[in-house]
Order: sequence, then C-alpha cells, then structure tokens
Amino acid sequence: MINIPKRLQNPILRFSAFFTKFRQTAAQKLFRLERRLQGGNRYAAQIYFLFWSGGLLLLWLWDVLFLHAPERHLLEKAFVHSLFIATLVVLFSFAMAWATAYSIEFFTDRQKTIAAGAILFTLNLIRSLPQIVGVLLGYVWITYEIQTGQITSNIAIMLRMSVFLALFIFPEVVALLRERIAYFRQSDFFNAMRVSGISEWRIINYDILWKNSRLHILNKMIAVFSAAIFLQCSVDFIVSVGLSTRISAINLPVTLGSLLANIDSKQDILAIGYALTHPDYLPNLFFRHLQGISVALVIVFTLFSLYKITNALAERFHL
Amino acid sequence: MMRYQIHIRSFDRTLVAIDDFQLDAGEITVLLGESGIGKTLIAQAIFGLLDAHEFDISINGKPYRTYLHSGFVRRLQRNGFFVFQEPSTHLNPLMTLQEQLNEGPLAKAANRQEEILRILWQQPYETHIRPLLKVYPKPFRPSGGEKQRILLAMAFKKLALTAGSANRLFVFDEPTGSLDNAYRNIFLRELLRQYAQNPFTILLITHDYSMISQIEKRHSALLPKIHFKELRRFKGPKAQVFNFKANEYTTWLKKQRAAAKGKHAANTQTVLTVEPEFKVFGKTFFLKQGAATGKPVPLVLHRQELIYLKAPSGMGKTTLAKIIAGLQRPQYIRFKLAGFSFSETTDQNVWRKHIWGKKLAMVFQHADEALNLQARVRDIFKGLPNVKFRNDRQISDVLQEVFEWDLPQAFLQQKVAYLSGGQKQRLNLLRALVLHPDLIILDEPLNGLDFASIGKVLDIIRRKMAAGSGILLISHNEEIFERLVSEENCYYLTDKAT
Repeated sequence: MINIPKRLQNPILRFSAFFTKFRQTAAQKLFRLERRLQGGNRYAAQIYFLFWSGGLLLLWLWDVLFLHAPERHLLEKAFVHSLFIATLVVLFSFAMAWATAYSIEFFTDRQKTIAAGAILFTLNLIRSLPQIVGVLLGYVWITYEIQTGQITSNIAIMLRMSVFLALFIFPEVVALLRERIAYFRQSDFFNAMRVSGISEWRIINYDILWKNSRLHILNKMIAVFSAAIFLQCSVDFIVSVGLSTRISAINLPVTLGSLLANIDSKQDILAIGYALTHPDYLPNLFFRHLQGISVALVIVFTLFSLYKITNALAERFHL
Repeated sequence: MMRYQIHIRSFDRTLVAIDDFQLDAGEITVLLGESGIGKTLIAQAIFGLLDAHEFDISINGKPYRTYLHSGFVRRLQRNGFFVFQEPSTHLNPLMTLQEQLNEGPLAKAANRQEEILRILWQQPYETHIRPLLKVYPKPFRPSGGEKQRILLAMAFKKLALTAGSANRLFVFDEPTGSLDNAYRNIFLRELLRQYAQNPFTILLITHDYSMISQIEKRHSALLPKIHFKELRRFKGPKAQVFNFKANEYTTWLKKQRAAAKGKHAANTQTVLTVEPEFKVFGKTFFLKQGAATGKPVPLVLHRQELIYLKAPSGMGKTTLAKIIAGLQRPQYIRFKLAGFSFSETTDQNVWRKHIWGKKLAMVFQHADEALNLQARVRDIFKGLPNVKFRNDRQISDVLQEVFEWDLPQAFLQQKVAYLSGGQKQRLNLLRALVLHPDLIILDEPLNGLDFASIGKVLDIIRRKMAAGSGILLISHNEEIFERLVSEENCYYLTDKAT
C-alpha cells in the first residue's frame, strides 16, 4: 500500500500540491522551449543560406526535367556569370574602400588636409552620380573597347563590368569602414593603444576592422553582393535595347539580367499576368514558360534570401 | 541567516556560480572584491531583479521563475531597497528628482525627506537642495555625486517607512562610487546610525577598501555586527566567499611608507616639467605644491620619483594627463618631456615619432574602454614598441606578476571581454608597465582591484620607479597614496590662482 504523507491525505491539499508541481514543470518546459526557439534564431542566417541553396537546387532539378537543354545551359551560364561578377564586385569594392578609408584616416591624422580633402572630393563626386547612370557610362566605355577590338574575351568584359559596378558601390563601403573607425576613435581604447606606441596601421586594421568590425564587414559584403546582382540586372535590362549600331547585349557575356531581357523571357513573364486572369493556364507556367520564370525566380529568390541573411546576421549580432 | 546557491548562465557561458553565499539576517555584510567578478549579479539575483528570459538562473537548485514568484522575494522587495551602482540608470529622465523621491510608497515618508536630504548634502536646503529637486535627470546634470545622494535619500526614506517590518534587506551596490571621501563618510555615518537604532539586513557591495579603515576608526562599536567578506574567483566562473579580516587591510596600510627616492633623486634627470599655468576649454588652471592654496609652482618630476596629482573630481586631472600625452590640444601650455619642449601648437607627429611608447606610457582609468574587448589576452601585448615577446611563455611570465594563480595557457587565448573588471584593469596596467618609458602616467591605477592585486600593482610601480621611470599619478584613493607619497610630491590642480 502506498504510504501517502498525512498532510497530503486531504484531497484539496493533494490537488494543490499536484497543481503547484504541474505549474512549476509547465513553466520550466515553457522556458526551455522558449530558449530553444531563441537558440534557433541564432542560426537563422545559416538556415536562410540553406533555404537559398536548397531552393536553387530544386529549381535546377525541375529545369533538368522540363527545360530544353540549350535554354538550361544558357540559364546556368547566366547564373555563373552573374555570381562571378557579383563576387568580383565585392572584392574590388572592398579593396577600393579599404584603400580609400585608410588613406583618409592616414592623411587626416597627419594633418595633410589637402590630400585628405582631394580623396573626399573625389569620393563625393562619385557619390553624386546616380549608381545606374555611372554604371551605364561604364558600359559605354566597354562598348567602345569592344568596337575597337581592344577586348574580346568574356572574362575581360566581365572584369571591366565588375570594376565599373564596384566603382559606384564602393563609397557605401567606405562610409561603413569610416564609421567603424570613427566610432572606436572616440573610445579610450584607440588613444590608449596609440600612447603605448602601437602603430595606427595595426590599431585600425587589426583591432578595429578585423577584431571589432568583421561581422559588420561580412554583412556589408552580402549586401554589396545583392546590390551588384540587382544593379547588374537593371543595367543589363536597359542595355538590351542596344548600345550602338553594332554592339548590343548579345555582344556581352550572358547574365541573368540580359537573359531576362531576352524576348522569350519577356513573353514568359507576360504569361504570369495571363495566368492570373486565366487560372487554367497556370500549369503551363511551370512547363512552357520555364526559361523566363526560372530567370525571374533565380533573381527574386536570390535577392530575397540574401536580404533575409543580412537581416538575420544583423539581428543575431546586434549590428 | 539567508543561504544561497546561485548559478547564472547566459546563452554561451556561465557568468557566475556560487555554492554558498550567506547573508546574516539583521546584520551587515560588506562584500568586497574586484570589479566584474559577479557581486552585482549575485545581489540582483537575490533581490529578484534579473530577467529570467535573459539569463538561465537557478537559486538553491530551483528555477529563477519559481524564486521570483515566491512570497519571500515579494516581501524582500516590499520591505527593502536596492541602490544601483550607476545612479544614472536608476533615475527616470522623464520625472523630476522631487517626483522620483516621492514615487510609489516613498510618498508616505514625505515628512522625512527634508531631514534626510539635509544630512546627505550638509548644505542649506533652500539655496542648494530645493532648486535641485526641480531638475529632470540628464547625463550631465545633476552631477554623478548628486544623483547618487538622491538614490541614497530614497533608500533612507524607505528605511523610515519600513521601520518595524521583518525581512528588511537593503542592498547598496557601490553606493559611494561617485562620492568623495567626505560625502562617503557622511553616508556611512548615517547608515550605521540608522542601523544602530533599528537593525536590518544590509548588503554593502564595494571595492573601496578604504571604507574598512573608516568603519574601524569611527564605528568600531558596530564591528561585531559587520562581516567583511571578499568574493574571489580562481579558474573559471566558480566564485567563493572568504571572510576578510579588517585588520589585514589596516595593518597593511600602516606598513606602507612613502616611496624612497633613488640615491640622488633630486639630482637625477628631470623627466617632466610643466609650467604652473595652463588653459583648456576656456578655463585657466594652476598647479600648486603641497596644498591647494598658495602660489602656483611648476610641476617637476625626476626619474625614480612619483608625483601625486590631486584635485576634486571633474577638475581636469585627466585632461592635463591627456594634454601631456598629446591627446588633447589645450589653448595654452608649456612643458618639457624627456628633453622635448611642447606647447599648444606642437604637432601631434612629434608625440607619434618620439614620445608614444618610447618616452611616455599612460594607463587610462577605465579598463573596459582602454582595452580592445574583442581581442585575446595575448593580443594586448602585440605591437608594442621595443618589447618583443617571442612566445606565449614570455607573455605568461609577465602576466604572472599581477595574476595570482598559475596561469593556464588557455588564459592567453581568452577574450578580454570575458575577463572580470579587475583582470581587465591588471591587463590595462601591464600593457603600459612592460614598456620602459621615462614617464608613466597612471590614471586611477587601483580602479576595481581586489586587495591582493592592489599590493602587487604597487610593487610593480615601485619596481618601475627603481628602474628609472618617473610616475605621474592620478587617483581618488587618497588613503593609500597619501601614505606612499610624501607631502612635497603632492601637487594640486585648481582653477584659483591664489
């Protein structure tokens, strides 16, 4: 026979004890669940990265099954080219931004106001030009080089595209780097290290930018990557009308933007509108209009996922 | 007696873990220890002030939520008070001080307010206190000391209100951090007077060891009721409380003697000479020797000598140190440092090329701000001029000078942000003290240190002096430094010419 303590023989007291225990256990479980969910948020950026990769993989498998091989190869090529250009843009814009930001700091510290002023003036001049206009001017230059036969290979054209895109994106990165340096300059730690004889080169590059800002920089890199894809697609779409009497988008390496601007893709996109008013036409979008739909999906899905990744990183690390 | 086993974890690490923390009911516990070791967290956990969402806390083996909902905590909060160490965070910027002094149950003790404020201010009520009560607290006004006294007044009002209640726990977390010694003594006198009249439980957290000698000198009758305890942490987050013998500190203090000058200190090379008058932020300041009154004199510091620069809080001691270090441009100054002449027009490149790290090193007062918190311990010693550490062993040997235990290699890999405040302060000091400059400026070098570390740091300072450096010292820890520095080496900074 179970020996129930005397104080718990009263049913009301027993219920009260049971209820207290239940409440405590429920509160603990709720708390653990809450923490687990909060813990999940820590990996939100990684989850969105997997979501992006997984989504693209699914789309590619679908295209392998239902898109004509030549069109699929074109799409793959456009995707690789766009990613390659965006990666180069990230590299170039960060290299230019670091050199500019460090030079401004160096000259300002040493009271070389003319040198610092000249760099700032040039930077503001670039900033004053709308990005899209600047990049279009860059494309005019590329057109000239193609026309005169100075460049012929796709790699050379893509390198130039990246440089021009980076040239009009890097002022944003300079602003970030300078903001980080300025923030730490105000704290005692910058002065305390200087007074100890540690070089400003080390303080700025190692202690401020590497140790205290690399997450900000990584986040900005992803944002620059997205901006490069977006800007590239916009410009490619614009230049699809033609750059000169002899040069048009078909003389440039195929990218997601130029593929979207392609007449077949445009018709595929228009089919979405048609399917909205004729729902029975909807299944055709996934088979007959796959090229345009796939390109549009890659662009939108990539931009959306990258946006979510940067947001998740910003939240996770309180950037 | 209240006994606690407390474990506090954040997401990625244990912040503090203590297996046996005792508070003697109806008595006074003075909890000492270096800053950042977990004293505040423990007190806030006991008083039920921590956020159960933010931390994973268990008290006596139970989840914190259970503890928070217990009648015991409600009674503690109803009958007690918690004075936070940073007065600015305690006060509501959208309410006047008067409104805050009478907020909630404190309004019932309105009749005691004037008397309490008069005691804490020691100034005429109508001209000095009443106008202040109309003010909304802002970061720069009222001063830190005034804000702190407002909080103490709230605590005393609550004390008057709860006289006769059981379970009265009053926590004072660094209650004198923004007060000078005179106001600190006034607070202490009033607190202990109230305690003697009607005892209650007090947890007084501080790293100001000079409070011990003040209690011994002025309130010795209460010593049987006062328990000095020191919180220490060795390896990892596990903390332990040790009984601290008051006479251990006072005996040590008595043994301290003014630093002996080098063999021919007066004849040794002059390291620093500052002309008696300088101007910064539109105000003119004067340097005086031996006493705050008298004629301004130049500040002269030789090798192997220590000069103690004194002034009321906020007068500009740190500003002068920064001017000498080339970090602040004054409107007028003339000084010589290690053979170089400086004025308000001197280019900062002179400091960069010839002074920083070579002729001068400076220890900043807030280690938290002076160190790169994201760096590893070993990184702090990288990039220093003329000091090359070939391997981690050499860095460990240097650290050993002020860290008491046999340092594990992993300590060098630890992030500075995860060290206690005292450990950070020791690193902050070591970075300057491993250099061999002519002049070392020490701005509040004992900030946040425990008793054992204070002794070690003073030893290093003595060794640096013996090795030939001149020391310019700024500290509010007058009790210790007045014993270490002779009267003639005390300089006063003032804005009055005579």
